[in-house]
Parts: sequence; C-alpha cells; structure tokens
Amino acid sequence: MPEVRLTLTVEAREILGNLLRLAGPAAARSAVGRARVPGDDPELADAWRRGLAEAASGELTILSSALASAKGDPAVVILPDEAAGWAVARALTSVRLTLRETVFPAIADEALENEALLARMLPRLPAEQRHALACYDCFGLLQLALLARLGGDEIG
Amino acid sequence: MPRTKVLPALDTRETTAREPRWSVVVDNDPVNTMEYVTACFMKVLQVARPEAHRLMLEVHEEGRSVVWSGARERAEGLAQELQRWHLRAHLESDA
Repeated sequence: MPEVRLTLTVEAREILGNLLRLAGPAAARSAVGRARVPGDDPELADAWRRGLAEAASGELTILSSALASAKGDPAVVILPDEAAGWAVARALTSVRLTLRETVFPAIADEALENEALLARMLPRLPAEQRHALACYDCFGLLQLALLARLGGDEIG
Repeated sequence: MPRTKVLPALDTRETTAREPRWSVVVDNDPVNTMEYVTACFMKVLQVARPEAHRLMLEVHEEGRSVVWSGARERAEGLAQELQRWHLRAHLESDA
C-alpha cells in the first residue's frame, strides 16, 4: 500500500503533538502495566513485558514524528506505508487508554461508551477532564479516519 | 504329557496425560472502538472480516470472548500480540 495521508487543522496538530509529549512516556509504561502476563515463568514474563514496552514506545515515536513533520494548513500527516499506519492506529489507542486511566478514571465505562450520557456529564466536569476528553475524542476520530484508509479487508 | 505352566496375572494400566488446552480471552473495554477491535482480530488472528466482527460483538455484548484455543506456545504468542494492539487479552488454561 502506498503512503497514507491524513489531514487535520494546524491547531489540532499542535494540541495533539503537545499532549503526546506529555502523555507519551506514561502511555508506554501503561501498556506494560495493564497487560496480564503469565506469571509461572519469570524469564518469559520479563521478555513479554520488554516486548510490549518496546512496541508501545516505537509506535508512539512514529506517531510523534508524523505529527511533528506534518506540513501545511490544514496539516497533512503522511505515513510512509501501511505498517506505519497500523503503528499509528495502535499508538492512538495507547494514548486514549492512558488519558482514560490517568485523567478521567472516575467516569464510568457506561458513560464513556454513551455519547448522550457523556454530553450531559460534560458541563459538570473539571476543565482538565473536559480538555482531556476533547483530545480523547480527537484521537479517536483520527484513528477512525486512519482505519478507513487502511481498510484491513485483506487478511495479514 | 506337557506340563502346564501357570503364568502370573498381569495388571497393566495405561494412562494418557492430555496437554492442557489454552484459551486466549479478550475482555471488553470502553475505550477501543468496534472498528479498531475488528481490525485487530483480522490482523492478529488472521480471520476474515465477518468472523472478526462476530468475535468483536461477542466481546462487546458478553463482556469477553474466547478468540482462540489450542497449544500454549501459540496461545502465548497471540495473547501478547493482542496486548501489543492494546486489547485486554489474557490466557486461561483448562488444566
């Protein structure tokens, strides 16, 4: 598959880039922390965690670089190939999970899955959580756009 | 006249130890979208979209789905790969 292009406003690119600088390191750590690793073989468990950490960190680097090198207004994010596209899709999930775990853990799962319920809660939330939720949504939309480009109809 | 030989009674027992079957289980989470989870299953489990969609719906509606069962080594590989895609995957054994 040739390169994948995503377009977003310059403001969105800047906000997401800044957020990524703040949340990126935590996201790589969280990917390891939340994983349920078999505990009966310490060597395997260690290699398992190391593999997860390296993968998460690599994906976040690809996403950061893609946002940083996006040019134009609106900004065009260029991913060189399908592998980079999937890495970015995973990184977007990683950051969304980290925002959920660190900034708005008190919001119930049901509310997070129900737009109408969340919209009713929104005005009562602290500003920090509202901003984080906006970024969470933005990353989600970016991921949906990316998945639509990647398709995924072919197995493998 | 041939002498009759009495053979001692034999008591043999055979036991077969079955390898435990390992399941890769994915739990529901409120963050990952249906589209993303379906794509993960297609890429990691190498299944076609209808099967990936069925597994995703099972996770969403039942709270969990056994997405693969079999030998431990393969189950470990798949569980770790699904975790790399940030799904809530873990292993369960029937032993």
